[in-house]
Amino acid sequence: MNALLAWIVLIPLISAVFVGVAYMYSITKHPISKLWFTLPALSAPFLSFALGVVLFREILDVNCVFTYKPYMWLSLDSFDIYMGFLGDKLSIFMVLFICFVGGLIHIYAAAYMSDDKGYGKFFFYFNLFLSSMLLLVLADGPLIMFIGWEGVGLCSYLLISFYFTDPLNVVAGNKAFIVNRVGDLGFLIGLAMLYFYVADYGFDYASIQSKISEIPLFTLQIIGVMLFVGAMGKSAQIPLFVWLPDAMAGPTPVSALIHAATMVTAGVYMVARFYFLYELIPSVGLFIAYMGAFSALFAAVIATKQSDIKKILAYSTMSQLGYMFIAVGLGAYSSALFHVFTHAFFKALLFMGAGAIIVILHHEQNIFKMGGMRRVSPVVYICMLIATLAISGVPPFSGFFSKDEILLVAFSSGEYLIWGIAVFSAILTAYYMFRLFFVVFEGKNFLHVNHFHEISWVMKAPLVVLAIGSLFAGFMGLPELFGGSHSMGTWLGEWGTRALHVSYQTEWILLGINILISLLGIALAYRKFRFYDFTCKETLSGWVYNKFYIDELYDLLFVRSLKKLSEFIAVSVDINSVDRVIMGFSHGFIKVGKLIAVVQNANVRLYALVMILGVSACSIYLIAILG
Amino acid sequence: MMDIGILSIIIFLPMVVALILLLTPINQNGTRNMAFIVSVIIFCLALFIYTNFQLTGTIQLREFHPWIKAYGINYSLGIDGFSLIVLMLIATLIPSAYLLLWNNNRPKNYWISMLFIQSGISGTLFSLDLILFYFFWEAMLLPVFMIIGLFGSGNRVYSTLKVTIYTIMGSLFMFVSILYLGVAFYYEFGSWSFELSDLVQITTISHGHRVLLFLGFMLAFSIKIPLFPFHTWLLETYSNSPTGGVFLLSSIMAKLGAYALVRFMIPLFPDIFVELSSVFVGLGIFGLVYFGIAAISQHNIKKMFAYSSASHLGFITAGIFSLNVHGMMGSAFLIVAHAMATGGLFLLVGVLERNLGIRSIDGMGGIAAKAPLFTVFFGIMVLCTVGIPGTNGFVAELLIVLGLFKYNAFAGILSALTVLVAASYMFWLFQKAILANSENDVSAMVDLDWKEVLGLLPLSLLIIAMGIYPDLFLYKIEPTIQHYLMEILHVGAKV
Repeated sequence: MNALLAWIVLIPLISAVFVGVAYMYSITKHPISKLWFTLPALSAPFLSFALGVVLFREILDVNCVFTYKPYMWLSLDSFDIYMGFLGDKLSIFMVLFICFVGGLIHIYAAAYMSDDKGYGKFFFYFNLFLSSMLLLVLADGPLIMFIGWEGVGLCSYLLISFYFTDPLNVVAGNKAFIVNRVGDLGFLIGLAMLYFYVADYGFDYASIQSKISEIPLFTLQIIGVMLFVGAMGKSAQIPLFVWLPDAMAGPTPVSALIHAATMVTAGVYMVARFYFLYELIPSVGLFIAYMGAFSALFAAVIATKQSDIKKILAYSTMSQLGYMFIAVGLGAYSSALFHVFTHAFFKALLFMGAGAIIVILHHEQNIFKMGGMRRVSPVVYICMLIATLAISGVPPFSGFFSKDEILLVAFSSGEYLIWGIAVFSAILTAYYMFRLFFVVFEGKNFLHVNHFHEISWVMKAPLVVLAIGSLFAGFMGLPELFGGSHSMGTWLGEWGTRALHVSYQTEWILLGINILISLLGIALAYRKFRFYDFTCKETLSGWVYNKFYIDELYDLLFVRSLKKLSEFIAVSVDINSVDRVIMGFSHGFIKVGKLIAVVQNANVRLYALVMILGVSACSIYLIAILG
Repeated sequence: MMDIGILSIIIFLPMVVALILLLTPINQNGTRNMAFIVSVIIFCLALFIYTNFQLTGTIQLREFHPWIKAYGINYSLGIDGFSLIVLMLIATLIPSAYLLLWNNNRPKNYWISMLFIQSGISGTLFSLDLILFYFFWEAMLLPVFMIIGLFGSGNRVYSTLKVTIYTIMGSLFMFVSILYLGVAFYYEFGSWSFELSDLVQITTISHGHRVLLFLGFMLAFSIKIPLFPFHTWLLETYSNSPTGGVFLLSSIMAKLGAYALVRFMIPLFPDIFVELSSVFVGLGIFGLVYFGIAAISQHNIKKMFAYSSASHLGFITAGIFSLNVHGMMGSAFLIVAHAMATGGLFLLVGVLERNLGIRSIDGMGGIAAKAPLFTVFFGIMVLCTVGIPGTNGFVAELLIVLGLFKYNAFAGILSALTVLVAASYMFWLFQKAILANSENDVSAMVDLDWKEVLGLLPLSLLIIAMGIYPDLFLYKIEPTIQHYLMEILHVGAKV
């Protein structure tokens, strides 16, 4: 049973290697049938899902924790790290939703990418990603997790720059990778410090937990912040969010799987995984919550002015991740994970719906060139409506319950500022999502082409499944208010729901406020965009449209100045100073040599003169001494 | 010399074959094929040594024959765990390199020089007598200078001259230090010896002189590695060398500098080694960042890799001086990882130059679409250099960072910058030169043939295997490193 943990990770890996080799064969030798890629690639997530279900049922029955350590990864001194897997409630929960959503996106991608030359390569990266992501959540210690952590970053890079012949895509990939590495720098420092204190007893979560109280509080706070820096990078929070909008350069299924449903939630998972650490440092937790709140607001503001459908969704992802960090920061892990769970459904659905529209319109991504899509594809329309209602927080769609829980946590913790920011962001969320929805589906645009690309049922079926999920996933965590029992939160155990000190009355009021703000946002969008006039141009300027010029600022501060510094070091310092000094020595030798060489000029009379002078000097000296 | 040990065979086989080839009218391809066969035989011998190696911290496979009796100079060989891993590295890299150089159409002298170099390298690696070590140390350089001077490009004669004077200058100081030690031994014990195990017993040298002697050795090693500020020969030499030369310089000779540092400096001057560790940790980390930043603005691919190499070697040096098992093991591992990755990269750049001529990074682009296999291998080497988990580069960098954290928290934090340094220029290069299309004409690019794939496949698989299961490789070196730390430096207990 325990070995199944390793197989959950291995199956996608084996499938990736197989597909990768087959792809290299097909492009270097001779083309082979697409079935060679499709079958192994698509079976991997479902096989892993099935194994996950087996373990899940076992945990449900006997409430146990699975561990599996196939081999010693590294052993030095007292420093033993096993390649270890840990299957507890949190990780199996993550496995289930990653494999399920991942599997649906695989099916969708098989249709979306079907005409692409890089079909095999796509699934090679996709399954490599899946494997890394599963390793990230199943690892039994932070170091093995870090392998998965960097692995998903690498796959993200590879998939963003999937169409690598266009320099812009590769630049976006590089940006994603390097910004993530800035986060990893923090993460690595945090790990090294943690290791410094606890490594004598092994370096898996359990032994770290048992030793955590021995770490001085101040050090613990630094470690907490440093690990969170890693999460900022991976989960696109202020200030390391700049890569996420650019990451939309990748194919749309990638945006759905990696940059919405799974990888970006790794930061949330990591904080939840280190709950025993963050519980000891509530001040750092509060810092995380504030960063989350600001990110949620900041992204929501930017999203209101964007025109690229995928970028709007990217900013909404960043915003929703902000909500999750509010929850983990305030110690409400199950609420955060609940939102991770529901968000995976509706955000994947939003991206896949957007992808379907992009395909229908021959790769048009500007929402102001869409319009009237309701009649073109009713299935996509209904699915997108469900997803948009879910993210806007309208009951009974899934997003309502999870977002309500987070807002309730913020309110009941007494953090009214965070609560206020979150509420305001929620209005904006409803506004910009319905802005997108009305413009794309309702508006009457006669400007765009009338020849539409067909999309197959293979592409639509996953949309429908996810739509059902977006509709019902919320009931997994139904609050007591509605006679539910937070079944997910209760099940999660250590990460479970905290007792909230609020009366039912307050809860009802907050709930009412939440519904009202969602409706307010929708109404605003309705007024402005229900009958959008496509002939007038949207103003494309201002601070908000230009994302507050953060990209330009970073470019100036880090990219340009680093290049300048590099040129300065390479030319002024290295060649003109260091080398010149060293070469100066050798020139000095030559000069001294030339000076001495003057004496050696074959002039016999000079030699004789010097000889006589020398002998005379010696004689005088001797006479002087001997008296 | 009746009994010839396996180490002697490894040293002299290439030399003997080279002499025979030199005297027989065998043609260029025949020479190349023979060189390859020799390198494969040596690989098999090395593999034999590896499997039979005992897991103790002591010197094994000793060979000892008097050479110049009057002055106590002996032909004395032996290996420990650290030598073993470098031996395996060289034995794996050289056949791979030959396969990559196969199509370069180089004349007979080139291959004969390569054979001589391999002898010199092995001799340097095994020597336990300091005079013998000095002999091989210099002997391995001469054929390299020949290769650069005869087959290089650009201002190759000037580069050769510069690197020759630079390294001979450094070696001279080392030679004086070796002689000083020999004389000191004579005064103290009444007989001549240059054997490492004898010289460590000297007690009469004053502290100040020991520091000077230490620095005398370090000058030679610092130039070879290279450490800041003795690196300025690097750029021109690397950019003007032919593929084979730059491959040997970067992935083998530079590593021998770091290797010799551990093998001789620790036993000879343990107290000075500990005393001055902060200086060299500082220099190493400074080099890591300084060279890393300098690499960003390079437009010549070989110059970029030259700085990149120097950056990593600074990191290796910092790890060696971290005085704990993590840092030193990490350095040993990074020596291997970096030699494979840089070696592979330089060999691949050689393929680029063969197909496209010498070009700046801006003059390339769109290679990936023309040569997918090339791109895959290039990508793996880039990932290893950047230190992505799943490659051995990651394990090495992680261990060094942990080691430096133990040494000093501030040094640890600075060294963690390694995750950013290489990524900042490597990915830019990969994007600009290989992946993205440009207006430049790269239609002449031909993908790797099966021989080249055969050469790169073992390296790539090892890079990944050592990243996924590092313990399988690390346990062979650990006893040696522990021996250095516990019994010589006496810092093991602190860990």
